[in-house]
Order: sequence, then C-alpha cells, then structure tokens
Amino acid sequence: MRKITVLSDVALITCIVQRGAADKIIVAAKSAGAQGATVYFARGMGVRERLGILGVAVDVEKEVINIVVSSEQVERIFEKMYFAGNLDTPGMGIMYITRVEKAATYIPPEILERLKTTPDNTEEKK
Amino acid sequence: MNQQIRFGDFTREIKINQKTISYNELTPKPVLDSSGQEIPFHPKKIHLRSIDVAKLLSPYISVRLQAQVRAVVPLALYLVLFQVLILRQEVLDHAIIVWGLFAVIIGLMVFMEGLKLGLMPFGELIGNRLPKKSKLPVVLFIGFLLGIGVTFAEPAIGALQTVGSIVDIHKAPYLYVLLNQWAGTLVLLVGIGVGLAAVLGTLRFLYGWSLKPIIYATLCPTLLLTLYCMSQPDLAKTLGLAWDCGAVTTGPVTVPLVLSLGIGIASAAGKGSSSLSGFGIVTLASLFPIIAVMLLSIYISFNYSVQDILNTASTQAAATQSINWYQTTPYIEIIGGLQAIVPLVIFLFLVLIFVLKEKLQESGIVTYGLILSVLGMIIFNLGLSYGLAKLGSQSGSLVPASFTHLNHIKDSPLFTYSMGITVAILFAWILGFGATLAEPALNALGLVVENLTNGAFKKEMLMYSVSFGVGCGIAVGLVKIIYDIPIGYILLPSYLLGIFLTHCSSEEFVNVAWDSAGVTTGPVTVPLVLAMGLGFGDAVNAVEGFGILSMASIGPIVSVLSMGLWIQYQARSKKNVEEELLTNGLEA
Repeated sequence: MRKITVLSDVALITCIVQRGAADKIIVAAKSAGAQGATVYFARGMGVRERLGILGVAVDVEKEVINIVVSSEQVERIFEKMYFAGNLDTPGMGIMYITRVEKAATYIPPEILERLKTTPDNTEEKK
Repeated sequence: MNQQIRFGDFTREIKINQKTISYNELTPKPVLDSSGQEIPFHPKKIHLRSIDVAKLLSPYISVRLQAQVRAVVPLALYLVLFQVLILRQEVLDHAIIVWGLFAVIIGLMVFMEGLKLGLMPFGELIGNRLPKKSKLPVVLFIGFLLGIGVTFAEPAIGALQTVGSIVDIHKAPYLYVLLNQWAGTLVLLVGIGVGLAAVLGTLRFLYGWSLKPIIYATLCPTLLLTLYCMSQPDLAKTLGLAWDCGAVTTGPVTVPLVLSLGIGIASAAGKGSSSLSGFGIVTLASLFPIIAVMLLSIYISFNYSVQDILNTASTQAAATQSINWYQTTPYIEIIGGLQAIVPLVIFLFLVLIFVLKEKLQESGIVTYGLILSVLGMIIFNLGLSYGLAKLGSQSGSLVPASFTHLNHIKDSPLFTYSMGITVAILFAWILGFGATLAEPALNALGLVVENLTNGAFKKEMLMYSVSFGVGCGIAVGLVKIIYDIPIGYILLPSYLLGIFLTHCSSEEFVNVAWDSAGVTTGPVTVPLVLAMGLGFGDAVNAVEGFGILSMASIGPIVSVLSMGLWIQYQARSKKNVEEELLTNGLEA
C-alpha cells in the first residue's frame, strides 16, 4: 500500500519582482537553506504609474517567485531575499509569507527512516 | 557542561531589526460624497528622495549600458591594440575617438531604449489591429511604406552617407554620384527594396510559402544584373556598394518592426503558428535593396555620361565653396537624427489615427520613448562620424603598411610582403570572427535555432559557424581590395555555391542560414567595417573599398548551410547504422 507523508510547519514565501531580478534572489534564498523555487511570469502595475517619468525604470513584466520553506527558516530566508532583491527601493517589488497547512513531496527514504526512530520529531505525531 | 540555547532565541538574535506596522494604517479609507456615493480613490504621486532615485535608476541604466559597452569596447580595443602593438603606430586624435566611442555607446543605449518604449509599441499595435480593420491590399501597402520608413531610421544607413565623401570622383564617377547627389534617392530605393521585402515576407507568413523558390527567384535577377554591371567598366565599380547596401539594411530597427508587423498579420489570419515562418524576411530585406541599387546605377548610367558627371561636379564644387551652417557639426547630425525618426513616427501616427482610428495607450511613455530615440539617434550620429568612422578608416589606412610602402608611415613596409599580407588577412579574419561572436542578436538567434531544431543544431555550433563565415568573408573582402579583384568574380561563384547548397539542404537550415547573414551586421560592425574598407582601399590606391560587407553576408550563408548539410549527413548515417543493426539483429 502506498503511503503519503505530509509535511507540517511549512510556509510559502511569494516574491514579485521585475523581470530578470529573480535569479539573484533565488540564489540568496538557496544559500540560506531554501530547497528550491518556482518562478512564473506575470504583468504588474501600481508603483510604476505613480512614479511619473521615473516609472520607465520599472518593467511592467514581472517574475513571481514561490519558495516553500520550513517555519523555522522562514524569517531568515525572508530577510535574505528582501535584501538580495533590494526591495527597500521603490518599484522593486513586494514579498509576503503565507502559512501553509500541509505540503507533500518526495522525501528520501533514509530520512524517513531516521525520523521514525526519533518519535518526537515525526509528522505522524499530528 | 552543555550550554543550551533555544533556537528561537538564536534566530531572533541574528535577525535584522524588524518593525511591524499595520497595513491598515497605509491603505485609504473609503470617502463618501454628500449623496453617500463612494468617491473613487486616486493614489498620489510618490515623491522620492534623491537616494531612492539613484537606487532606482542605477540598475536600469547599468544593464542597458553594459550591453552596448560589450558591443563597442572589445572591437575598439582590438583595433587600437592591433595598431599600437603590431603596426607600432600611435592612434591619432585619440581624445576625439574616445569621446566619439563614448557617444556611440550612450547614443545606442538611449536609442535602443527609445526603440523599445516608443517605436515597438506602435509596430505591435499596428501589426495586431491593422489586419482586423483593413483589407489585405491596404495592409500590404502600409507594410510597404513602413519598410521605407524604417530604412531611413536605421542607424547604420547614416554610415553610407558619411563615407560618400571619401570616394574619388575621377576613379569611380558613378559611385561618387550615387553617394553624393543621389544619396537621398539611394536610401529611398533601398527603402523600397525593404518595403517590397516586407510585402513578400508578409505574404509568405500568410500562405506559408517555402523560402527556397523565393530565394531562387530573387537571386536570378540579382545575379543577372550583377553580370550586366560587370560588363560595363564604369558600372562595375558601383557593384560593391550595391551589395553592401543589402547588409546595411538589416539592422536593429528594420528587423523587429517588420517582423512584428508580419507576425501580427499572420496571427490575425490564424496562421503563422510555425515559428520558422518568422525567418526569411531578413533575407529578402537584404536581397531586394541590392536589385534596387543596381537598377538605380544603371538608370544613372543611361541618362548621364561620365563626362556629364565630372562637369556638374566641378561646377558644383566651384559654386558651393561656402558651407552652410546646416552642413557643419553638430547641426548636420541633429538634422540627420530628426530626418531619420520624425517621418517614420508621423507615418505611424497617421496610420494609427486615420486607418486604425485608435488611441495609443500609455502615450506619456511612448512620447518619452520617441524623444529618446531621436536623442539617441543624434548622439549616435555624432559618435559615428567622430568615433567609429574615424577609428575604422584610421586602422584601415594603416593596415596596408604591413606589406606595402605608405608615404605617411616610417619604415613601411613593416614586414616582408608575404608576412605582411598574412598579418593583414589575419587581422581582418579575427576582426570579423570576434565582432560577430560578440553580436547579441546572434546569441538570440542561436537560442531560437537550438529550440527549433530540437537541439540538433547547437547554439555554439551556429554561433561559431556564422562567425567563421563572417571572418572568412571579411578576409576575402580585404584580399579583393588589395589585388583589386572585380567583386563579381567573387560574388557570383559564392552565391552560386550558396544556391547549390540551398538546393541540397532542408527547409529549416535554409531559413536559418540565409537569415544569419542579416543578423551579423549590427550598428557597430557596419560603420566600422565600411570605414575600414574605404580607408584600406584608399591606402592601397584601390578604386573603391566597398564589398567587404557583402562578402561578410555570403560567408555565413555558405558556412551555415555546409554545417547544416554535415549535421544532416551525420544524422542520416547514424540512422543507417542503427537500421543496419536492427535488420542484422532481426536476421540473427
């Protein structure tokens, strides 16, 4: 019988930046322990229109980065990404954290084995 | 003694100070008017501190600046180092050249941004909407006019007019006339050629015609006209120019605008799903102008004799002793920049208002883009005459010193004859190879091709084979100038070879190979190579220094086609081996 192991204590960081800016943010997130990232393209507006002539410096085309992290990592990675993307500059983008109820993916069997032996660490506790 | 720290404490310590404010305090509260209706909220403009402006603008500018610096600096550095280290000559006027190159970088950067923000939205809007609102003949006619307009806006076209003054009227009278009195007509005819190419390319989009018969049908008259011009000794000297015009037209303005129109029309007709149909327009846009220019020179030769030209030129030279203010820098560059962009923009506006009856979205940004493109064009023109043309003609005039005696250079020839020729040819080859490899458009083409051929034609393979072709082309062009070989003797066999290879190749490779020739001739390479060729021709007392660019066009066509054939051959033999194994296995 196939079993599904779900992960708890998961958070999702979503970061919306100008096209081409995602790569260095993802590198920063990965070096802070993020496992991977999903990027998709989008169009966004708002600050661009309110900057007047300076709005030309902000690209309409955006990249949306989705990174699933553990709740212990989330603050650290969030900060790393914020500074890697220079989000303290107008027009550079916005990011937010969403609590995730559960997640499931491939978990290497040896890690599953190890977690079973230490009972107060498993997700089966839930 | 184990010290225990709570992980939460640890993360709080390493955290940067976070301050929390409620988003509720930032968002506006709904405002009601007297009747209880909600007044729509209009956000205020954001006022930035100067530090924020700098932070906002610096990545925006640096990305765009770097792209142009990468295109200009290595080429210029190569020319200067070659001149200083191998030829051991000082660079004359280096201050002016540095400023000129700086102007080229800035001008190109501003122009490209203006193109993206100002002209491209126009092209896309017209391409998308026009086919829905108008009948096909109207659409084709507007495409034709657009082809003429973009030719005038092409930065490299200005280079042709700049080099016109170098030609010696007594050696090549028709060439002189073409580039001086008839310069405007010349550009117009090149434009008509591009316009016709746009029409034919659009039809190809619509009906999915194969490129091969179109290439045969276009090349036949081109080669026949070339043969005719070769038979007339005075006309033969204009051939180099005619073939070079083809290479000049396919630059950063023409290709995207004409393509966006063609793609828009095809998608409106529900066709054009095949991405390969996007190719081919570039090829046509470089072949038709050649025919147009040859026809013009034949027309001139029928109506004016050589003697007429010499007479008018001498009377004109006497008459125009005083130079008008608008013929001096920087006014001539400013006028050139305005002439290039403004008619195109007015034409696009008229189409938008009277044919499409539509308003432009984001008109503020588009206006900004248009202003940028005019400004960029002016700055680029300045840089063209003071940076690229000067540097190119200077190194062109110095390179012959390696194998022949030049009056203005001490100790020339610098090397023995055979050694010197080798140095000159190597110089040309590396120049072509390097400049092409650095061209950003080639990288883009390589990616597209790798996707389209499912990885059979690797990006690097395409880039290297195109660069190899261009390098050889420029080297052959140099040889042509040194030994004064009539250009037809080189062009005819190489194009015949091109046709033969086209006949053998499959459709995809034909599309890619013929277009790769157009990609290689960017706004930096063209003026530099043109000026170099003319300076070179001048130094070795050749009749004219044109023709290098046209050699640089046929070079990659032949090299890419051969590469394609080789890949096909390999794939086939691999398949054969596999089939053999399979049948053997079955028998066993």
